Amino acid sequence: MIRTVVALVVVAAALAMVPLAGLPPFYETFLYLVFHWIVLATSWNILSGYSGYLSFGHGAFFGAGVYATATLAAHYEVPFLWTLPVAAAVAAVLSLVIGLVVFRVRRVRGEIFALLTLAVTFVLATIILNTPIDGGPGVYLSAVPLPQIGPNASSTFYLLALALAFATVLIAYLVCGARLGRGLFAIHDDEDVAEVMGVPTYRFKLAAFALSCALAGIAGGIHALFVSYVTVGETFSITVPLSVVLMSILGGTRHWAGPAVGAAVITALMYAFTASDYAIAGKAIVGLVLVLVILFMPRGILGRRRDRTAPAAPHAEPATSRRENEVPSARAEPAVRADAPAILEIFDLAKAFAGVQALSNVTFSVRDGEVLGLLGPNGSGKSTLINVVSGHYRPDAGRILYRGIDVAGAPGHRIARAGIARTYQIPRPFSQMTVRDNVATAAMFGGATLSRSAAEREATRWLEFARLGDKAGALPDELNLHQRKFLELARALAFRPRLVLLDEVLSGLNPSEIDSAVELVRDIRAQGATIVLVEHVMRAVMALCDRIVVLDHGEVIAEGAPAEAMRSPAVVTAYLGAPAHA
Amino acid sequence: MNVVARTIAALVASCILAAVSGAALAAPSGKPIRIGSTLALTGPLAATGQVHKIVGEIYVEQLNAKNGLLGRPVEWIVRDDQSKPDLARTLYEQLITVDKVDLVIGPYATGAILSAMGVAQRYDKLLIHHTFGIPNLAKYERQFPTWSLGPEPQNTFPNTVLDALAASPKPPKTIAVVTSKFPSVHFLSLGAREVAKKRGVKEVLFLEWEFGNRDYGPIAARIKEANPDFLWVGAIGLEGNQLIEAMKKLDYMPKEHFYLYPAPGPMVKSPDANYALAGTIFEEHPPFTSNPQAEAFIKVFNERAAKAGLPDTAVDTQAAASYSTWQVLEAAVTATKSLDDKVLAAWLKKNEVGTIQGILRFNGPNNYGDDLMRVKQVQNGRWVVVWPKSVAAPGAKLLVP
Amino acid sequence: MNVPSATLLGQAILSGIFIGALYAVLGLGLSLAWGLLGQINLAHFAFAFLGAYLTYQLATVGGLDPLFTLALIAPAFFALGVAMQWLFTRFRVSPLNSLLVTFGLTVIVETLIQAIWTADFRRLESGYADVRLRIGTLFVPLPELLTLGIAIALSLSVWAVLRYTDVGRSMRAAAEDAPIAAAFGVNERLLAYVLSGVCAMLAGAAGLCLALSQTLAPAQIYAWIGVIFAVVMMGGPGRALGPLAAGIVIGVSEAVTMAVTAPAWAPVVSFTLLILLLLLRPGKT
Repeated sequence: MIRTVVALVVVAAALAMVPLAGLPPFYETFLYLVFHWIVLATSWNILSGYSGYLSFGHGAFFGAGVYATATLAAHYEVPFLWTLPVAAAVAAVLSLVIGLVVFRVRRVRGEIFALLTLAVTFVLATIILNTPIDGGPGVYLSAVPLPQIGPNASSTFYLLALALAFATVLIAYLVCGARLGRGLFAIHDDEDVAEVMGVPTYRFKLAAFALSCALAGIAGGIHALFVSYVTVGETFSITVPLSVVLMSILGGTRHWAGPAVGAAVITALMYAFTASDYAIAGKAIVGLVLVLVILFMPRGILGRRRDRTAPAAPHAEPATSRRENEVPSARAEPAVRADAPAILEIFDLAKAFAGVQALSNVTFSVRDGEVLGLLGPNGSGKSTLINVVSGHYRPDAGRILYRGIDVAGAPGHRIARAGIARTYQIPRPFSQMTVRDNVATAAMFGGATLSRSAAEREATRWLEFARLGDKAGALPDELNLHQRKFLELARALAFRPRLVLLDEVLSGLNPSEIDSAVELVRDIRAQGATIVLVEHVMRAVMALCDRIVVLDHGEVIAEGAPAEAMRSPAVVTAYLGAPAHA
Repeated sequence: MNVVARTIAALVASCILAAVSGAALAAPSGKPIRIGSTLALTGPLAATGQVHKIVGEIYVEQLNAKNGLLGRPVEWIVRDDQSKPDLARTLYEQLITVDKVDLVIGPYATGAILSAMGVAQRYDKLLIHHTFGIPNLAKYERQFPTWSLGPEPQNTFPNTVLDALAASPKPPKTIAVVTSKFPSVHFLSLGAREVAKKRGVKEVLFLEWEFGNRDYGPIAARIKEANPDFLWVGAIGLEGNQLIEAMKKLDYMPKEHFYLYPAPGPMVKSPDANYALAGTIFEEHPPFTSNPQAEAFIKVFNERAAKAGLPDTAVDTQAAASYSTWQVLEAAVTATKSLDDKVLAAWLKKNEVGTIQGILRFNGPNNYGDDLMRVKQVQNGRWVVVWPKSVAAPGAKLLVP
Repeated sequence: MNVPSATLLGQAILSGIFIGALYAVLGLGLSLAWGLLGQINLAHFAFAFLGAYLTYQLATVGGLDPLFTLALIAPAFFALGVAMQWLFTRFRVSPLNSLLVTFGLTVIVETLIQAIWTADFRRLESGYADVRLRIGTLFVPLPELLTLGIAIALSLSVWAVLRYTDVGRSMRAAAEDAPIAAAFGVNERLLAYVLSGVCAMLAGAAGLCLALSQTLAPAQIYAWIGVIFAVVMMGGPGRALGPLAAGIVIGVSEAVTMAVTAPAWAPVVSFTLLILLLLLRPGKT
């Protein structure tokens, strides 16, 4: 990482020398345009590319910066350089106001966020057009003195834009490797999973949004003086919001330098054909180039080249020599002391969905170090219980005491940070991250907040533990179901949880895969974690669980040692129906 | 000297000029004089940009067919600024600092001209331009406008329009001012309100819409309800047509209606726009065509425009202003025998130049001279200048249905 | 604030409905491609304008009735849509990338239009433009009425097909979960070609409506992107009646604003309304 930062500094320093080379100022002006677009595209990507929340409103924040500088410099004679931090602040505050409202609403994802940001652009443009900020005639900045940073005006703009572009690209790079970036990538792939994995999604989205918009605001402020005559029509046109999207896609949205490359390519292309003889034909060629590049490089110029390997053949591991129905013999395990303290206590938990009471009066506790089975027929509320405990849903009533503290209704990431991890019945890996990154991300947000390199080492370790070591560099959709389940487990473990909620981890596996999974669960328990195991596969339940709790229609109907509880009449009725004769 | 006499003087002057240059025996020779500019050849402004390209090409050909400039051939380097002012600025820097052209002329439209003006100012270059709409923003001492709006068009031009109406069969007692908020249009409409107030014309409606508005139905309905004697429409481009169509759909058309800068072709062709008034500096009829140079230019332009596939081949404000730019440049260079921007600028400040739109002078505020805007009217599918009487088409009058 | 008379208000609402119908016709193809094919098709606007120019050309130079030109344009556009879908399938273009690819195609089509018809303005003069109906004190112009009719007819037909026919149901299934649908025998690939062709035809129909009521210029392609995206996203991508409802809401809210107060404020009202609707009831209609 240090190497990249040093390389960026060196490049920036070299570019800063250009004004001294005595070239015709035109080159500096052209490069100004390139840097300008690098800033806009890279800043857009920090939120939209990394997190997947596509904003169609980058023009609004750019425009806010333009008019902040224009108003202060032209109407209030504030020195130009001082207007730039104000431009950044105005844009950032605007984004925070929007983000505070919009990111709170759970359902706002994808297209809705895109539409909201687009609507904000129209609203802001109209307000500026109809108030004294602009009012119609535009704002004229020719009288604003330009600070003497370079030998001439072109150099000054060049250096300002270079500084901003360097800062923006550096920030994008640093964010990419930091927790913020990892969290954003996780949000991109599966926000719910990210939240319950400890990523503070709301805070991270706000931070990325504010950062992205502040940078765009500064770019706007500088550009206001560059064009020196600012009108609403030019500033808030579709050009900015559309171009930043295109540039980022072209360069690659997941790479910190992708948008910069895309911006440079597109700006150069648009410029290349300005000689009048080729103006129209040139434009067509630009269009053609864009089409061809993205068709042949779908992840962008800097995107990872897709491995076009076929999905792995199902279960290539050697079959164990055990016979099918034999239960794996129990290894010597530390027996759970009956008086071990409860790590999780649930009191009178209730949750309803649109009239269906999924959970009612659920009360039980989980002892530290035990494996508790959670059983019940389909629709009995097992998954809902897991979702409520992990923070995905808020309960309607009841308390959830985790190590003595009531976490009912707390945000998912706080519950996760407290030490509760869960897996999903249908695995939900982060699809755009490699297997190793999936696990490393969990390690970064887990109980021990690790640095990136430490997290990666942890990840490798857990992947070995989960028998996935050789798949570390693959993408999740190259794994078969069994491997993906193990990935879920590895991810949960990298989290260093005290309490692991496993949601039907064995479903869909064949008998020898089940054996293998049971081994792994045992190993997890041996690591010191408490496990709540939602399961249907009875032999695994019998083999693994110290106690079981049985749910039916959202209520607890039995609790106790596995063999006894399964024989209780209520449980038999729940599974098999009422006896034909009493 | 009154206007008629001045026009004749211009006529005579250009004849002499033509004769003198025609008398030169040799074709231009030597190192070419390079003149650079940008134009909107693509993008939203391209519809008008292409007119300026054709005019420039015609003029440069004409120059080179005679004696060039100062006996040297003329080369025009024009680049496409894609209707973007920031690109225009970059390209002018390229023209001046890399291509090192001898002279520059202006691009199309206010935004781009302002960008070019900034660059010209930094390098002390002369900038003659043809389509700048906001005179009080033109603060560079070496810029010279050939779109003769005068230094205060928001005052002078509405007065011209209301003069024309006052002399018509039905001088208006009430006015409705509706305008787009496009910068070069908006301030003129606000000026129209002031002028109307001062002249005792009662304002019954004032509306503004944002440039890019798509739905003119409600605006038309409000105008119909206000029923003004005279409708002033601050329209640019297609807005005028869109409003006319919207009013027509309501079976309503004000008897006296004026459009500031409409796209001339679509309006004159529209079956609904009969009797619409607009502003202009040149039309294809006498007395403008009494100038043989103008007449010759019109013919060539009509041909070239048709060949380029343009649906409108008439010479009007845009083409005339563009042609005037070249005329002014040629006049200054020929008179001073110099390509030095300082010398040329000084000469222009002190002298008048005869152009196809009339005599231009540059010694007013911001180098503006007279307001030479005329009032034209759609009459039977043609644009006809109706005011001032001295430049109206022979026998033409402002008609009120 | 201007207290509008009943006539003014009524006329404004009508005006809003008509412009909303134009938004709907323009948005329908885009919405279907987005929701059912996973493509954000910017080229839809270019195709619509290409259709408009062709309508203009055939009607003005060829002397055909503009409505009839649609019969000629539709098959050609269907082929165009199929060709584009082939491109998308062959290269497995993702939704985000489709934005860039279709932008490139838009630029190519725009320059083609400029090369053939120049950047100058073209206006279709048709007999329909002079006809208007009267309902009480309100006027209903024929071209706008035709656009409204086309918008309603197309939206309802598409809705009915998607809802009640096997083909429609298969398309919706394939859009929701292609592998499962395939397991049930849905030929997703063929359906995608058909759907893409249909969306291109819808663009052609939108072109007809544009030609009837608007003056054309190549750069105008981009002027509609913002508002039509808003209409599509508001109506919900893939929902056949979405663009119609959303278009009318936006059109009427802006028109009423223009009747009641300064027209320049209209976008604030319509888009603030949009924002509120999204936050309070996302995924409406």
